[in-house]
Amino acid sequence: MKMQRTSYYIISIIIMMLYNVASFSQDNAVVTDTVVFKQSYGLRLGGDLSKLVRSFLDDDYKGFEINGDYRLSKKVYLAGELGIEEKTTDSDYLNTTAKGSYFKAGLDYNSYINWLDMENMIYGGIRVGLSSFSQTLNSFTVYNTDQYWQQQFTDNPNQEFKGLSAIWSEILVGIKVEVLNNLYVGLNFQLKAMITQDEPTNFANLYVPGFNKIYDSGRLGAGYGYSISYLIPIYKKNKIEVLPK
Amino acid sequence: MKKFIILILVIISIGTSCERDDICSENTSTTPHLIIRFYNVDDQEQTKQVRLLTVNGVDSDGNVLDNIVSSVSTDSIVLPLRFQNEGVITTSRFALKRDSDFDTDTNDTTFSNTDEIVVNYTPQFIYVSRACGYKSVFNDTQNTLIVDSDNWIFSYEIVNTTIDNENAAHIILYH
Repeated sequence: MKMQRTSYYIISIIIMMLYNVASFSQDNAVVTDTVVFKQSYGLRLGGDLSKLVRSFLDDDYKGFEINGDYRLSKKVYLAGELGIEEKTTDSDYLNTTAKGSYFKAGLDYNSYINWLDMENMIYGGIRVGLSSFSQTLNSFTVYNTDQYWQQQFTDNPNQEFKGLSAIWSEILVGIKVEVLNNLYVGLNFQLKAMITQDEPTNFANLYVPGFNKIYDSGRLGAGYGYSISYLIPIYKKNKIEVLPK
Repeated sequence: MKKFIILILVIISIGTSCERDDICSENTSTTPHLIIRFYNVDDQEQTKQVRLLTVNGVDSDGNVLDNIVSSVSTDSIVLPLRFQNEGVITTSRFALKRDSDFDTDTNDTTFSNTDEIVVNYTPQFIYVSRACGYKSVFNDTQNTLIVDSDNWIFSYEIVNTTIDNENAAHIILYH
C-alpha cells in the first residue's frame, strides 16, 4: 500500500516535469533562414592503406586494393573495389598459399546528415564479390593421435590448384572523412557470406582473396579496410540548408 | 547513428568469435586405428576373451617394440598402423602374446604363447578440415598369420578391407 502511494507520487512528479518542458519549448519561436551550399559530385579513387602496410609487416601476406565510388544522388554512391592478394596460411597441420585477384561492386548509402558544406560519410553498403585465385598446398602433416610407430608424417606436395573462383555477398559499415580539400580517409568493417566457391579436390579453400579467411564452422567471413582516397569533382549540385537565425 | 554503432559492434564480434576453428576437436574422425576382435573358433558367433594378452609392434628388422596392450584379458584390441607415403603398400607387424604371466611365474610347465600377424594396406590421405588437416585411411587391407609350431590363433577374417573409422572391428581372429 505504501509502495503504491510512493509510485503515484513519483509518477505525478514526472508528469508535471514533462508539462514544464513542453511549455518551455513553446516559448521558443523559431526563425529560420536558408543557405545554399555547393556539393561536389564525382569520382572518388583511392587505395587501401592497411593492405599496403600489412604487406610490409607480414611475411605471409602481400596485397593491394584500389577502391572507388561515384556519387549517384545525395545519399547513394556506386562503389567498388579491385584488389590482388597473396596469403600463406600456416597452421600445425597445413601450410597453404592462396593467390589471386578480386572485384567487388555495390552501393553505399550515406546516413550522415552533414553540417553546412561538409561532405563526410557514415555509411552502410552492400557488395557482391568475385574472386579468381589459385590455392597451393605447400605441405601438410597427417593428423594422427597415435605416434607409436613414428612421428607424425609430413609431406610437401607443393600442389597447385588453379582456376578457382568464388562469389560472395557482403554488407559493410564505415566512415569517410574529408581531411583536406577533396582528400578522404576512411575506415570500414565488412561482414561476408559465401555464395559459391570452387573447392579443390581433396582439399579446401582456407583463404580466398577479397573474402579473407574461411572458417570450418560456416560460410561467414569478415574483413576491414583503411582507405585513403581523392575526390575528382565532376560537377556540383546545390544543397539547400535551413539555418536557425 | 546509434544503429550504426550497434551494427559495427555486431560485425566486429562476429568477425572475432570464429577463432575456435583452429583446434582439432576430439570428436572429429581422424586417422583411425585398426580394431581387432577375438571370436571363439568353436562357436564363431561368440566373442571370446584372450587371457592376459600383451601386444607389441614388430619393426621391419624383427625387433619387438614397446607394449601396445599389456597383460589385459580382453576380446578386442585397438592397434596403431604404421604409414608413410600415400599410395604405397605398407606393413604393420604385431606380436600377440597370450597368457603373459606364464613366462614369468614360478610354474615351469606353462609357457606364454606368442603369435604374429602381418597386416598390409595402402594409405590414402583425405582432407578433414582447417584445424585437423589431413587424415589417413587404409585401403585394401590384407592379413597374414605367421604359422609357427603352436599357434593359438587358428584363423582370421577381414570384415572390412577399408579402415576409415573406429566404429566396428576390421579384422576378426578366431582362437
